[in-house]
Amino acid sequence: MDLAAIAKQNVEMDMTPMIDCVFLLMIFFVLVIDLSQKNLEDLILPRAVYQEPDDKPAEHRPIINVLQNGAVIYNQQVVYDPAVHGKNYAPIKELLINIKKVGLAEKKLKEKPETIGGKTVMLMDDPILVRADKWTEWHYVGEIMKQCSQPEIAFWKVELAMSEQDKETGEKNKKIGGTR
Amino acid sequence: MGAIEDAQEEVKPDMTPMIDVVFLMIIFFICIDFKVLESKLPAYLPKDKGSQSTVVEPQEQLSVGIYVETDGTKQWPESAPPGGGINAMTKRPYRFKLTGHRVKWEVGPKPLYKIEDVKAELERIARDPSSQVPDKDKGGKKLMPCVVEAHPGVYYEDVAKTTDACREAGFTEINFGGGLGEKKK
Repeated sequence: MDLAAIAKQNVEMDMTPMIDCVFLLMIFFVLVIDLSQKNLEDLILPRAVYQEPDDKPAEHRPIINVLQNGAVIYNQQVVYDPAVHGKNYAPIKELLINIKKVGLAEKKLKEKPETIGGKTVMLMDDPILVRADKWTEWHYVGEIMKQCSQPEIAFWKVELAMSEQDKETGEKNKKIGGTR
Repeated sequence: MGAIEDAQEEVKPDMTPMIDVVFLMIIFFICIDFKVLESKLPAYLPKDKGSQSTVVEPQEQLSVGIYVETDGTKQWPESAPPGGGINAMTKRPYRFKLTGHRVKWEVGPKPLYKIEDVKAELERIARDPSSQVPDKDKGGKKLMPCVVEAHPGVYYEDVAKTTDACREAGFTEINFGGGLGEKKK
């Protein structure tokens, strides 16, 4: 058989390696997307029915994680540990002031003047997300909210992270009282 | 070898690519499963209260208190030392499950022991015309705000459940009392 005849032969392409590669790429991108959310600690959030989907969060929204023991984590760094700091909540305050300062300097966060009680005050226009485990004592979350309300911080748009499914019990959303 | 013998020969398909693809699909779906949908509960702080150095008029609001009835038992995973500790793999404390934790609610002065009763009571209050207060921003009337007051030892789960009941009953303005401190040990 000469070369011209070989060239005319019907060449069947094996699609399997290509499909393999496509799947590998898909897995790679799924993992990369997950890694981009590295500031989300592995927590079990409480389930709530009357919540809002968080599918379009503000681009530079700060995320504060609170572990079961009350430890406050920001960008994977432990900022406040109850075992170390006890009732000294200054690290939380410093963290929030720092987030605000850096965010405003880098123009990632915005402030807005508001007139309250006849006085003009500057309030943060961007939300802040607090993610706490369902079995975290509330006073730790309350303390963050209290710090957020301080005039030098003024992050008033506090959002609490919830889940549509309880990862601990596997329960999915249903109406309280069971009549939906 | 004749043509008949050829045809009778057992045809063995190559299973390797199929197994490859199946494994990849398993990995893919496992990865997808780890992504649990998260949502949010807007808990906007009142702009005119707290530490802002402004003068505001007091406003009528409904108090929903949460008190601990039974602390509950912490169940640590089998791999964790007794009483918890730090997981060497994740560098984070071991996570416990709480069982037998029970709370009591006080909607106004009324004590309630089930979330369904809390919801029913909140719905009754929301329907009551006397629960309407003047709306200073838009004019007219609006449903009074409610404040969820978590007492020492109350967990985030209890507050989430209570807030959910408030929202279901029609309360849109929900505030949180956070200054009641931690449980005495």
